[in-house]
Amino acid sequence: MARQPLRRRPMALSRRQFLRMVALGGPTAAFLAACAAPAPPTAGEGAAAPGEAPAAQPAAGPKYGGKMVWMGHQEVAGLGPDDTGPTVQWVMVVNIHNPLVTVNEFNELENVLAKEVQVSDDGLTYTFKLHEGVKFHDGTEFTAEDVKYTYDYYRNPDNGASIAGDFTGVGSVEVVDKYTVVVRMDEVNAASLVSWATTPIVHSRYHAEVGEEKYRTAPIGTGPYKLKEWRPAEFTELEAFDDHFRGRPYIDILRQDVVPEPSVRYIALQSGQADSAVWPLLVEDSIALEQDPNFIVYRTLANSIKHFPLNNSLPQLAEKEVRQAMMYALDRQRIIDDLWNGAAQVSHSNLTPASPYHRADLKRYEYDPEKAKAMLDAAGWVVGDDGIREKDGLKLSFTCTTITGDQARRPIAELAQQLLKEVGIDMQLAEAPVASILQGMREGTMDCSLFNWTYGSAVEPDPFSTLHSEGGNNFAQYRNPRMDELIEEGLKRVKFEDRKPIYDEIQEIFVEDVPVLYLQFDEWMNVFNSRIKGLPENPKNGSAIYQQAYKWWIEE
Amino acid sequence: MIPYLTRRTLQGILVIWLISVATFVMMRLMPGDPVYLLLGEGEIRITQEQIDAIRRRWGLDRPYHEQYLIWAWNLLRGDFGDSLIRVGVPVRDMIFEAVPVTAKLNLIALAIALVVAIPSGILAAVRRNSFFDYLTAVGATLGVALPNFWLALMLIVLFVLYVPRWIGELPLVGRIPPFGLPGWQGYILPVLVLSTEQMAVLARVMRASTIEALGTDYVRTAYAKGLPRLTVILRHAVRNALLPVVTVIGYRIAFILSGTIVVETVFALPGIGRLFTDSVMRLDYQVVQSLVVLLAVLVVAANLLTDLAYAFVDPRIRIE
Repeated sequence: MARQPLRRRPMALSRRQFLRMVALGGPTAAFLAACAAPAPPTAGEGAAAPGEAPAAQPAAGPKYGGKMVWMGHQEVAGLGPDDTGPTVQWVMVVNIHNPLVTVNEFNELENVLAKEVQVSDDGLTYTFKLHEGVKFHDGTEFTAEDVKYTYDYYRNPDNGASIAGDFTGVGSVEVVDKYTVVVRMDEVNAASLVSWATTPIVHSRYHAEVGEEKYRTAPIGTGPYKLKEWRPAEFTELEAFDDHFRGRPYIDILRQDVVPEPSVRYIALQSGQADSAVWPLLVEDSIALEQDPNFIVYRTLANSIKHFPLNNSLPQLAEKEVRQAMMYALDRQRIIDDLWNGAAQVSHSNLTPASPYHRADLKRYEYDPEKAKAMLDAAGWVVGDDGIREKDGLKLSFTCTTITGDQARRPIAELAQQLLKEVGIDMQLAEAPVASILQGMREGTMDCSLFNWTYGSAVEPDPFSTLHSEGGNNFAQYRNPRMDELIEEGLKRVKFEDRKPIYDEIQEIFVEDVPVLYLQFDEWMNVFNSRIKGLPENPKNGSAIYQQAYKWWIEE
Repeated sequence: MIPYLTRRTLQGILVIWLISVATFVMMRLMPGDPVYLLLGEGEIRITQEQIDAIRRRWGLDRPYHEQYLIWAWNLLRGDFGDSLIRVGVPVRDMIFEAVPVTAKLNLIALAIALVVAIPSGILAAVRRNSFFDYLTAVGATLGVALPNFWLALMLIVLFVLYVPRWIGELPLVGRIPPFGLPGWQGYILPVLVLSTEQMAVLARVMRASTIEALGTDYVRTAYAKGLPRLTVILRHAVRNALLPVVTVIGYRIAFILSGTIVVETVFALPGIGRLFTDSVMRLDYQVVQSLVVLLAVLVVAANLLTDLAYAFVDPRIRIE
């Protein structure tokens, strides 16, 4: 049955506004400036207050009804705020819940449950004015108490939540009135708005009643969709929430099927039995669909770098000259062209080119094996009888452990092995499950691996987790006091112009020290059937697109 | 009979206990720590306090022998524990949701395989070196040689993409889904893949054992007595030739898991094969341990039933 559409309340900066603000002071500053003067919904814009009857349906345009099927590659193991790690889970959680703010598909901060955000000049106090009249799926009104409860629950270490670390620096959460929350920080954390403020808000009374474990199986949020049926290994089905505060979503049913095999995801899209692949297809399949007018394929640049984290604490990998020589020995463009169908960009920094902090004028390691050999010679690593370089009896040899069954990235390790061998470096290959690699690299018991990980994102340039000596994901075991100092300083400053010089220097040190062998920023390819309308134009963040599903409709 | 059953049951319990200990030890010996998987990527700082809290929450801070005893005791009481990954869902529910999918797939596949393989094997044996015999041999060789993974993908391409283009929807069947179990149609392709290999193995065994039986003295005697050919084949030769087939069926139960992992992954079916691989990769201790013990029980029971079936098929075998 067709239902009447609503026009939506403008919640975010326009693209033009954002770019202007970025030019002036970065996305956070742009966001804060916009938040200070929110555009109120006006009757002329057709915005509907919660519970208000929708306007008459125009002859053409959005239509209500239908079912959209997405496909993920692994099971949706839970649906609470603590399950937002894997992309396939995040896309469902953020359609059931809403955070105060979110990072949208243009890598901009966007207000959701907050209608206004104020940050004190010292960066220690965040005041959120909340939308009024927002309802949870059970009809209860959303208030500041729900925000306080959510933040207090997930930041409490006793509750063992995996997202507790997102709340670094948060001192207290206070309810000022029904629609105002103040978060006081013990220390400035410039990454606050993209970390803890994006946590989905739970229904406090219900969560307290049923507990975290039960909640993750039967959540109640304020999101545009409510849970209809959840079979973790098969599918998750959501249905439209009529009283959603931004208006009822157009599509009645959103469903995500678990389809582990990428070729089957491709066939399902071709046969029309699914509309989109949340987890990308094989690159060659996505490229094939780009030529097909029945599909829309978005290419967005990943925040993460595909890289070889090298254990810098090993004596043979400790010298930066060795690591720099390895960068010269790797033909990174060939890796992209031959093994990744050209769907990536060579990385020349730890930050993606999509970040306003990205520096394009840094030292570059163009493929030059002769230079690599000369550098190794100069550093005292001489070629032994077996063709492997050695110094003081130590072989320039190490093992790269890739994820078991990772057929996509394993060939990259194999090509790198050949290229490094040409300059006298021996890289052995091994495989292990991902849990083993995470533990081995974090604890420094493994030499090297190969995966994608962020060293600062397009929205927040902070690389504490990966480059600070105390970072939980410092896989390189990298220790540089100046880097630590800069990272800590960067987190204490809020304004773009204050932060920029810090992240400029961080990138410079990263490129000079080469703590990891950085290869490329992959192009993330998300495919949609062209019957889905209302999709964004030129998005910059592939997975973030899915949180806007409430804006889409189906046109057969 | 009763002393035999008691002895075999006690042996079975011992085997299951040893398997439970071995699985527990192997899971703990596997490199990697599930806590690191639970922590995920989104961390700004991971503190020891946070790691300890997660370990405490899941009982991973207890000594290994205590972890084993708690798990084993709970298992005996029917409590399989909670999944580390699928938080809030009891392992028992996860397993009992997956078992029917795998069981249905395998039983239907086995039934089809038997219906096709036994007559084909008998006919091929009776008409040795005929066209039908050669056809069965080629079919059986292909059935064993074709990898399940390849066959599954080819069938999906054929039935999901090409058949609808060529002839539209199939009569009575309709649209065949590329994955999942939206209806009974979802079973068609996975069952076809699983039964192909079983059919091939069973047809070859049936043919070989029938040929052997047809050459025995008792078959010659039966012919000499003037019995009709059909009676000799069905009542004397085939009944004896079925023994190796029963052995193969019992033996293959132990391979259900390995056989269905590929099929369940390609067709995205929520059976025990996929549950097992997902749980191993994500170090979901409770699920892997419980599943292995359950399969051990199944295999021990299947072996016992196979031995009992011998007595039924061949009256010369007495269970003592």
